[in-house]
Formats: sequence, structure tokens, C-alpha cells
Amino acid sequence: MKTWWRAVREEARAVFTDAGAALVLVAAVFVYAVVYPTPYVAGVLQRLPVAVIDLDHTAMSRQLTRMIDAHQFIELAPPVPDQAAAERAVREGRLAGYVVIPVDFERTILRGERTRVAALVDATYVLAYRQALAGLLEAAGTLSAGIELRRATAAGAAPAVAASLREPFHVVTRPLFNATESYATYIVPAVLVLILQQTQLVGVGLIAGTRRERERERTMAAAGLLTRPGPAAALLRVAGRTAFYVLLYGVYALLYFGVIFPFEGFAVRSPAADLAWFTLPYLLAATMLAQALGAFFTDRETAMFAIVWTSLPAVFLAGFAWPREAMPAWTVVLGQFLPSTAAIDGVLRLTQLGARLGDVSRQITVLWALAGAYGALAVLLEWWRAGRGRDQVRPAASA
Amino acid sequence: MTAPSWLRAVAAVMRREVAGWRAHPRELLLLAVLPLASGGLFIALLERGTPSELPVAVVDFDRSALSRRITRALDASPSMRVSTVLGSTEEAANLVRRGSVYGIVTVPADFENDLRRGRAPTVVVDYNAQWMLPGSLIRRDARTAAATLGAGVEIAARTARGEPASVAMARIEPVQVDARAVFNPQLNYGHFLLPAVLPAMLQIFVLLQAVAAVGRELRRATAGEWLGVAGQRPWAALAGKMALPTAWFAGLALAMLILLHRVMHVPMRGSWPVLAGGTVLLVLACQAVGVMLVAWTANLRLATSFAAFYGGVAFAFAGVTFPLGGMTWGPRAWADLLPLRHYVSLAFEQAMRGAPVSASMPELCALSLFVAVPLALSMPRLATVLRDARCWGRL
Repeated sequence: MKTWWRAVREEARAVFTDAGAALVLVAAVFVYAVVYPTPYVAGVLQRLPVAVIDLDHTAMSRQLTRMIDAHQFIELAPPVPDQAAAERAVREGRLAGYVVIPVDFERTILRGERTRVAALVDATYVLAYRQALAGLLEAAGTLSAGIELRRATAAGAAPAVAASLREPFHVVTRPLFNATESYATYIVPAVLVLILQQTQLVGVGLIAGTRRERERERTMAAAGLLTRPGPAAALLRVAGRTAFYVLLYGVYALLYFGVIFPFEGFAVRSPAADLAWFTLPYLLAATMLAQALGAFFTDRETAMFAIVWTSLPAVFLAGFAWPREAMPAWTVVLGQFLPSTAAIDGVLRLTQLGARLGDVSRQITVLWALAGAYGALAVLLEWWRAGRGRDQVRPAASA
Repeated sequence: MTAPSWLRAVAAVMRREVAGWRAHPRELLLLAVLPLASGGLFIALLERGTPSELPVAVVDFDRSALSRRITRALDASPSMRVSTVLGSTEEAANLVRRGSVYGIVTVPADFENDLRRGRAPTVVVDYNAQWMLPGSLIRRDARTAAATLGAGVEIAARTARGEPASVAMARIEPVQVDARAVFNPQLNYGHFLLPAVLPAMLQIFVLLQAVAAVGRELRRATAGEWLGVAGQRPWAALAGKMALPTAWFAGLALAMLILLHRVMHVPMRGSWPVLAGGTVLLVLACQAVGVMLVAWTANLRLATSFAAFYGGVAFAFAGVTFPLGGMTWGPRAWADLLPLRHYVSLAFEQAMRGAPVSASMPELCALSLFVAVPLALSMPRLATVLRDARCWGRL
């Protein structure tokens, strides 16, 4: 029990008195949470600039231009002289696309024939492309509907019949959960969950590396006294550190889900108890992984170099930015070894989709399994390291 | 002993670097192993380019020939497959919450009957907008599949009323939009993400390696010796230290471009010299920023923390996950302070859009400034710090 309590105290002292550790385990947790959402503040894409080249100059072509302008996704760009100029503007990224209304646009429609409006849309940004295209298609569709309806009623059909002739059935598409289709809601909650893991991997590794450095510098007697050998002491030390980090990060999780989520406008649709029972195995798995990895860091800065680059791969492996179905099988398996993968999936389902604990039982199982496996590994490495530390000291004593 | 000439000083530092790598082979991790491994991982992840066969559920309350036709049409869409046909909305909603399906297509009861009587029933497509990418694919393809089927039904109805098929054809949708997607016509996410993600990873490693290479001299209290090998010339010391990493990272970056645009056939429509030049400038810019961070913090750990923040979140500000035009001024200004965001603009302009060279001049200038300004700001300071024993060995 003394060993356990000393491990808790030592770790707490390291976090709050060592500026390097505090920067990662305290400051970074706040800074990243504040900075990361900022690019997405606007949430949805602004209206995209689209130019209309009207070669027809009739009432009907102007009506189409107005309908395009009125669409919420599109902002009508100032007129361009010709197609070459428009194409150049698209190439240079000043226009999202342009539309050419052909000569005889109105006359063709009045003759009862079909007319084609050519559109050229920049697809470099796939999401922007979809938005601009949807705007154009819907504007043209609205115009079409009006024309058809007029034709049918002119031909003597009752308005209702005419309407049903035009569209035998309706298709309604409805976004679920992220109703405004906000990019912020798509990306930021997941990244916040990841921050809870990454700061631990770096910070705990930094403290472990520093401890290792100090031990190397210490005299034999001090080293022998400070790190008690044996599996029981190793278990107690790991348990002590784990208790401290789960408590510290429990507070952070509370802050993230309780303050930052509402502040950024992200829903928390699951009961707090469900979220708490889900977060516990995540924090355990993350801190166990951090401690197991920490055993390999022999000096203070190694952890940063080893961990910092993993954030972007972890985002893509987590299966929210890029769907699991499009990933090769081995990368799906690889991703499961990171606690963040199951945790992000589960937290999004609980908070955004309003799932209950039973719906995320698979993710919970994965997290407990990872916590168990990394925990066992952390204890073994701690035991091995304490023993090795003494072996290294002994020859020095006889010399 | 006379001071060695500048070039000889550089060569001496280079030999010292190589000897350093021999003694600490772990330092090659940042230089070679991790960049190659993470690059390989991203290529494997995004190679498929466009998600396909995303599972959706059909809730069929009608169980008619027509509702089965809808199911088949959805299943035939490239992006999705109908994984289950259910009789209850509750069940389908549970599947979405658990992640078994990304969308639900609901065909109402009496669908076929209502349609035949001209009552225009409604098919509802609910898609998971939290998983935005699969959601948007399902929205588009479900709509297309339904519209195609609807047009078929409409033509059949019109011909049944005695209109000739050709006239009926022309009558639906009198205004057609002939949309041409330019620059990425296959809507391939791999073609869009890889040219941005790989440089994003590269800049992290270049930045960290530069910080580690210079910072470790302070940390290990070898800065004085390093400067001594260079005959007390800070520029020679830095040039000798960074020459091989620069050549290696620049080579790696060019190999990445060749792999992307020649082997994987990601479109390359613009100027190779501009794209390649921009890529090399990105490497130099990140090294310059790394040197600046060490010079002004005079502390390896602190410099690494700043580098981690600067390079680690750069991707979110690069205009890839969210376009620059959509950002408010604060994040937009921060984005402009990142070499990556200028490089990504340049790469999209040149590779994807085939913009004229003149369109990429602002980015080339910005990247050059990222090389010149940090070096100008930090070289005098670096010289002081390297000579100041109080800055050595700090944690």
C-alpha cells in the first residue's frame, strides 16, 4: 500500500511540478481542445461562387439565373466575358464552377423539346463539388418542374394529376444525427476523444523517460532503495500511476463532454452514466498503453518524437473520417490496437447517435481487452525494468 | 592551426553527423523508418479512392414488385449494397446506431397502389450524416437510383396515355444539366487526400528531425564541440548538419511525387518544375522553422513541444478537411503561418487544376519566405545559444 501511494504521489508531483510534463498533460489538453475546433467554426461550407454565362438573354434564361442565385449553396459570381475566362477562373480557384445557358434556350423549351445547360464544376474538393452540383441540379429541377406543370395543365390535366405525372413518387433525403451536416460535428468530437489518448502517450512517456534518466544518474544505494524489485511492487506502482491518470483524465473527460461539447454545439444524447461507463475502460486502456510504451523510452524527449506523428494516422485508422469499408482488412485490425479507434466509434455513437451502452458493447469489450493486455504488459515491463536497473547498478558497486 | 575553409568545415560537420548516426542508429527512425512506414500506411488506407458497397437497410412496408425493384436498384448502385430488408423502422434505426448500416431507405405501405392511382407516394432516404463521407455518397446514389426508376415509371405512364415514347422522353425534365466534373472527374478521395496527407506527414518528420538534430547538441552539451568542428562558423555548422537530411528528405519528397503521379496515376496537369520546386521548398521551410524553434527556446524539449503543436495540427488548417475560404479570419491567419497550407494550395493548383505557373507564384514566394525569414531571425541567436554553456544540458 505504501508503494502504491508513493507511486500516486510521485506521478502527481511530476505532472504538476515538471514544466515539461505539465505542458503536455495539463496545458496541451486545454490548448488543443480550444485550437483544434477553430478551422471548423463556420461549420458548413459558405456559398460557392458560380458564374452564369447567359447566351440566350431571355426571360426564361434570366429565371434560371435567378433560381441558381437563390439557392442556399451557391453565390452568383460577377458575370464573366466568355467561357475561356470562366475556365481560367476555375483553374485558378476563383470560381467553383460555371454554367452556360445556350442560345435558343427559351425557344427550345417553348417548342416542347429538351434543352441542355452545360455546367463545369471543380471537383478538386469533392465535398464542395457535391454542394455546387446539388445547387445547380436543384435550381434546374425547380425550373423544369414549373415548366412541366404548366405544359400539363395547358394540355388540360388537373393540377394534381399533372403534378403526379411529372413525379410519380417523391424522394425525400434526410440527414440523421448531424442534421445541419456540419463539418465541425463530423470531425471535432472524434479528435477531442483522440487528444485524451495522445497527450497521455506523450506525457506519461516523458515522465517515464525522465525517471529512467534520473535513475541512471543516481548512486547505487539510492537506486536500490527507490525502486523496489519484484512483481508485487511493480503491480502496485503501475496501479498507483493508473489510478492517478484515470482520475486526472476523468476530470478532463468531464470537462470535454460537459463543457466543451455544449460550448461547441455538439450534442450529448446519451445519459451521463452510459458515457462514464464507456469512458472508464478507454482511459484505462490509454494509460496502460502509455505506461507500457513508456518502458521503452530511455530519455526525456524520446516519447515526443515517438508519439507526435501518430495522431494523423490514428485519425484515419479510427474509421470516422475514412470509412472502415474502404480500408484494407489489415489496417482495420491494426487500428483496433489503438484504444482511440474503439473509443471514438463508441463516443460518437453514444453522444451523437444517442446509442445506449448495449449498442456499443463490442467497443466496450475491445477497450477492456486492450486495458487488460496493455496493463499486463505494463506490469511485466515495470518488473523487468526494476530488476534490470539493479543489475546495472551492482557491477558498478563492486568496481 | 589555420581555420579550415568554409567548405572543408561543412564536410567535417557532415562526417561528424554520419559518425553520430553510427553511434545512435535510433536517430535514423525519424529520418527514414517512420516516414516510410507512415507513408506506406496512408497509401494502403486511401488507395481504393472511393468507398463502395456501403451497407444500407431497406425498410419495405409495401412488399410489392415495385418496392423490390427499388431495392434492386439501390443494391446495383456503385456506392452501396442493401445488407438487410426489414419490416420495422425501429430495427433499422438500431442498426444505424450500432454501425451496421449507414442509411435507411423506407418504402411506404401501399406504395405501388398509390403510385398507380397517381397519389405520388414518398420514398424516404435517411442517411447517417455523422459519418459524413459515406452519408453523402448514399444520399447522392439513393437519389439517383430512385430518380432513374421514377423516370422509367413516368415514361411508362405517358406512353400508356398514348404519347409516343420519344416525345415522353423529351417532356420529362425539359431543362437538363450536363454537369462536367473537372479536375477530379472520378471523385476519387484518394487523389484528393494523398497529395495533401503525405506532405502533411513529411513536414512533421522534417520539423521534428531538424529540432532533434540541432536541439540534441544543446541537450547533450556537445554544441561547443559541434561549432568547433565547423571552425566556429554557425552557418557552416548548420549547413553540415542539415545537408544530408535535406538531400534525403528532398529525395523522399520527389519520390513521393513520382509514386503519386506516375505510378498511382493521380492526375498531374501542371508544371513539374513548380510542383517539385514547391516540394523541396516545403522541406527547407520546415527545417528553417525547426532551427528557429530550437534557437529561441534553447531547449530541446520545449522546442519539440512547439514543433509538435505547429506541425501536428497543421493538416486541419491546410484547407483539405475544410476549405480555407470557409474559415474565419483567426484560423485563416494561423493557416497562412504554416508552410503546409501554401504547399497544399500549390499542389492542388498544379497537379489537379493545371493552373498556369503564374497562379502558383504567391505560394512559391510564401514558401521561400518560410525558408529565409526564420533563418534570418534565428542565426545570430543560434550562434549565441550554441556558445552559451548555460543553455547546454537543459532538460
